[in-house]
Amino acid sequence: MESTEIDFLASYYSQEGDNASVTGGIGTETLTDIAPTIVVNIPLNADAVLTVDVGISTYTSASSSNLDPFDSSGASEDYEGEESANANPTGSPWIASSGASRKDTWFSARSTYTHSSDDRNTIHSAHLSYASEYDYVSYGFGGSVTKLFNEKNTEIGIQAQVYLDKWMPRYPTELDSYVEAERNLNNGFFKAINIYNQKGLLTSKSNSWDTDFTLIDNKNRNTYSASLSFSQILSKKSHLSLFMDIIQQKGWLANPMQRVYFKDVENYYVGNPDNMTSNIKNDYVSKKNTDVFQLADDIERLPDTRTKIPLGARWNYYVHEQLSLRSYYRFYSDDWGVNSHTLHIETPIKIKEKYTLYPSIRYYNQTAADYFAAYDEHLSSSSFYTSDYDLAAFNAMQYGLGVRYTDLFTENKIWKFGLKNVDIKYVYYQRNIGFVAHLISFGCKWVLD
Amino acid sequence: MKSFFLLIALLLLASSCTVIKEYEKVYLNDPDMELSARAIERYETNFQVYRESASGANGGKNGGGCGCN
Repeated sequence: MESTEIDFLASYYSQEGDNASVTGGIGTETLTDIAPTIVVNIPLNADAVLTVDVGISTYTSASSSNLDPFDSSGASEDYEGEESANANPTGSPWIASSGASRKDTWFSARSTYTHSSDDRNTIHSAHLSYASEYDYVSYGFGGSVTKLFNEKNTEIGIQAQVYLDKWMPRYPTELDSYVEAERNLNNGFFKAINIYNQKGLLTSKSNSWDTDFTLIDNKNRNTYSASLSFSQILSKKSHLSLFMDIIQQKGWLANPMQRVYFKDVENYYVGNPDNMTSNIKNDYVSKKNTDVFQLADDIERLPDTRTKIPLGARWNYYVHEQLSLRSYYRFYSDDWGVNSHTLHIETPIKIKEKYTLYPSIRYYNQTAADYFAAYDEHLSSSSFYTSDYDLAAFNAMQYGLGVRYTDLFTENKIWKFGLKNVDIKYVYYQRNIGFVAHLISFGCKWVLD
Repeated sequence: MKSFFLLIALLLLASSCTVIKEYEKVYLNDPDMELSARAIERYETNFQVYRESASGANGGKNGGGCGCN
């Protein structure tokens, strides 16, 4: 690299679904996210480059908002140890709450130093990273060595990465409040609240909702990974890469915000007394339910170790001056029982000298984790359980269309920077289990004269 | 796993037969032929890491750094 390059990137993401994990596998998954990023590549000398990558991601999530579903009724404004002012606080897995957990900002920064040998056949790199959000912080570091040989026709790389992450856990409000009230429904938040059973009958505090929920002991979540890559030129128009990672995760690998409901435990509800009927169990899961919320049996519990082994391959083929083929395949397996196949194909088409259109299609499938079950399907005798549909069995299709403007001579300038390229891409993502997402991404690269 | 390493061995063997010179790499050096994800694809990878259980083996993010799967 001869001069400083700056990439400005940004995206807008939105999703819709009916299987919110914070409310135990049912409820609105509506979420929007805006994520701007800046990446600066600075050549330090003829052989070394420093890359600084800083970004934020600001999201608003209906699912996360229901960490405390009772905010809109004012019942839980000061729930920490305080008695609720409303005997029938309303909430629903289908309605976003107005609590603080409805939005968050993820911040990340990463710095990478890369050094190439004089003959450009050996490349070393090292990186440090930091990321944080309201309930999570991450420190990462790693390094890699890449060797090129066979007249740069063959490339082998190894990489190691470590992330030392930590939860600052936030729990579903009723569970947190129950622990704070010393498991006594006549104390604190629950003192004035009416709790109804699954027959729609008001319960007495001595014979009502109860849970074995406990706070998290080990809040750490560490990730160690080793990666091997191999690239080979196959012909003047074709080359291929193979990747293999071994990833080991340890610590609290579940999300403390996510509720679980057991089918062998009676259900208990709070909310509008007029809707507490003998049919409440069925009515609760209906989208017409706007003012009844079911008290959680527990948060999701998952093993404290996970080993993931993904194998990937990229193969690109230059068809002719106007058309190329880019392909990617990955097989993934882990010791939680998830197996997955991913196939991504893109066909960049040069439509004018400076413009490229790149349609793409991606197929993804996965088997369910051993610990997954739908809402109200888990057994309380299990050691591990989750109703997070990201761990369910599903297939997903993704369709994308991007357009790129490229100006190799950087004729358009702002101050001392010339515009090298601009990318805009739209992606539509759909699961076969009722989940859709849209993503619009934008990027531009500027080069210092 | 065995077949993965067998494939690498076969490719290494094949690579000794064909050597493409620098001046013959004009097609391979086209930006659309890069053997890595495009910079703009980072956001796709990010939401896929959150919304899917599988990750990694793409020369990029493979877990850690977020409360994701």
